[in-house]
Amino acid sequence: MTDRRVSRRTVLATLGVLGAAAAGGLAAAPDTGWAQALGQNESVEDALKRLFGGKPMKDGAASVKLDVPLIAENGAVVPVSVTVDSPMTPTNYVKYIYVVADKNRIPVVTRVTLAPEAGRAFMGANIRLGESGDVRAVVEQSDGTLLVVKREVKVTVGGCGG
Amino acid sequence: MSDIGKVRLRIPSSIKPGDVVQARALVIHPMERIERDAQGKIVPKNYNYINKVIVTYLGKTVATFDTTQSVAENPFFTFTFRATDPGQLKVQFLDTTGGRYEGTVDIKFS
Repeated sequence: MTDRRVSRRTVLATLGVLGAAAAGGLAAAPDTGWAQALGQNESVEDALKRLFGGKPMKDGAASVKLDVPLIAENGAVVPVSVTVDSPMTPTNYVKYIYVVADKNRIPVVTRVTLAPEAGRAFMGANIRLGESGDVRAVVEQSDGTLLVVKREVKVTVGGCGG
Repeated sequence: MSDIGKVRLRIPSSIKPGDVVQARALVIHPMERIERDAQGKIVPKNYNYINKVIVTYLGKTVATFDTTQSVAENPFFTFTFRATDPGQLKVQFLDTTGGRYEGTVDIKFS
């Protein structure tokens, strides 16, 4: 009986690996499978649930600074930067900074993984915004605490196309 | 389109040891958006966009950006690092077609 169970498990595992290989087969890069999972067509609630699994989020207004324009003339290029007040020591640092655009069809814009060597918890990038809506920055610290801030951005011309 | 993969790195002109330095990396890349057909269904294909940016300084990874199609065309990324020793700062961009573009700059103290 035991043997049988093990063999069944092995078969399942093999199938899983094959499935993953097929899914990633389109692109040659090994990391693609995961990256495609990061950016999916879904609602922002689903995205946050998928990334953080319903962990409580604290308001990070005191330590997280999210810099976005109030009005974005062109949604195709919107500069965003996030600065977090953090000592960035090996025991207490900011691990991830997520940028989430609520109204985008692919709400998760980027996930930045930081190392204590970064010296300061900061990231900046140009993003696309499909329409006016909230932009959130979610910060995950090394102890697992989640901090969130959001700002509303008005978009004159949407930049996401499809 | 031959410009795809051109990387430009910008660092401050004078850096002192121990400074936290802010650097900007720009790459020329189309970052293809999702296309839909007349019925509004997503056209399934392998969209060519950058999904990973890796910043290394003195051989250590300082920051990694996992990006999606919600990032603008010809994206630039800003990040910081603590300049401890002279050495190489390298930024690598990986896209979904297996493309790998990189730019390096030598950090020197003046």
